[in-house]
Amino acid sequence: MTDPLQQESTTAKDLELESRPRQRFELEDTGFDEVPPRFRKFYRRWRGPGDQLAPNEVICPVCKVVIRSTRELRPGDRVYCMPCMSRLIVVRGEDGRLEARVAY
Amino acid sequence: MGNQEPGPQANRTLSEQDHFEVHDLAPEVFYEQVHSFEFWFQAVQGYLSGKVYGVDPNLSAPSLPDLDRDRLITVLCNYCVGETAALEGASGLIAIAPNRHTKIFLSTQVVDEGRHLEVFLHRLRLLDVADPEGEVERRASRSLLLFKRRLLELVNGKDWEAAIFAQNVILESLEFTVFQSHAREADPVTRDLLLGIVKDERRHIGFGENELGRRLQLAPHIRARLGQVKRELDHLVLDTLEETLLELGADPVEREKLGRAYLEAAARLGLET
Repeated sequence: MTDPLQQESTTAKDLELESRPRQRFELEDTGFDEVPPRFRKFYRRWRGPGDQLAPNEVICPVCKVVIRSTRELRPGDRVYCMPCMSRLIVVRGEDGRLEARVAY
Repeated sequence: MGNQEPGPQANRTLSEQDHFEVHDLAPEVFYEQVHSFEFWFQAVQGYLSGKVYGVDPNLSAPSLPDLDRDRLITVLCNYCVGETAALEGASGLIAIAPNRHTKIFLSTQVVDEGRHLEVFLHRLRLLDVADPEGEVERRASRSLLLFKRRLLELVNGKDWEAAIFAQNVILESLEFTVFQSHAREADPVTRDLLLGIVKDERRHIGFGENELGRRLQLAPHIRARLGQVKRELDHLVLDTLEETLLELGADPVEREKLGRAYLEAAARLGLET
């Protein structure tokens, strides 16, 4: 069955992205201390208005922590927010940026 | 950004740890992990280790002008009411929790809430309040006391969904929002204490929203009942928020913004007014 969130998020930009290999990222510890050490590099705090998301990052809509992946994120990807225990799906928002929605 | 694209050194042989990607975990492994006492223990060690009553021992409590001290005491007294409600609510919910994961998670929440109450009472003592518990009774907001009474009625009535909604979505969202706002303007000791509590609150709000979200998918008819609970409790929560933010000196724009933040979680669950 097609996931409606995934279907909704598919745009021309996403189709073009699909044809390219994903960028890979080496994650560093950013000082995030709210999860066990093994998982810390996958999260960081949002630093306010001057902050920007990298292609491997989305904001958790529940607790506002920045979620990070070792891979470039694309619509349809599933990610976890460990600090608030949420499972999320990446979608393309109305403004063209990647967002995360809670997948209950 | 803290992220680095792999350079030439990325060609080295990567260890198993380098290959680990948390987002590849199977959902059942993820839920088992995050609901465990072990996860909680390692998480709180990260930010509470070395603290005394939730505060870096190198920070000293400043002397506040009389009016600021009095306002802070009122605010802290009401935080104690909220934390007591959550402590009694979470402990009561363990008995009716539907499975092992939720029982264990709630046991960690009980510990968190007990700690919050203790550190707020300790902060009141640092403000030279001789009888903190008596002061809490004297200064407690009527709206918050009514909210607490209704929450405990839902728990005692064994209404799992409504009680989780009232406690982990409504009350915890309110605390999450207010504590963050207060921390921005607070003295260093109160700020450190609040920021530690906000880290606990992330788990509590996430647990509530996700637990209810899963239940609403399986039984959408619950939504109407939760909508009724929300309408019943909304004014108590918003009155409490307004009273607290006025004591904190938040301007009307900030107050409206924080009010909206509290409603976001309910909206994601399809419980808009």
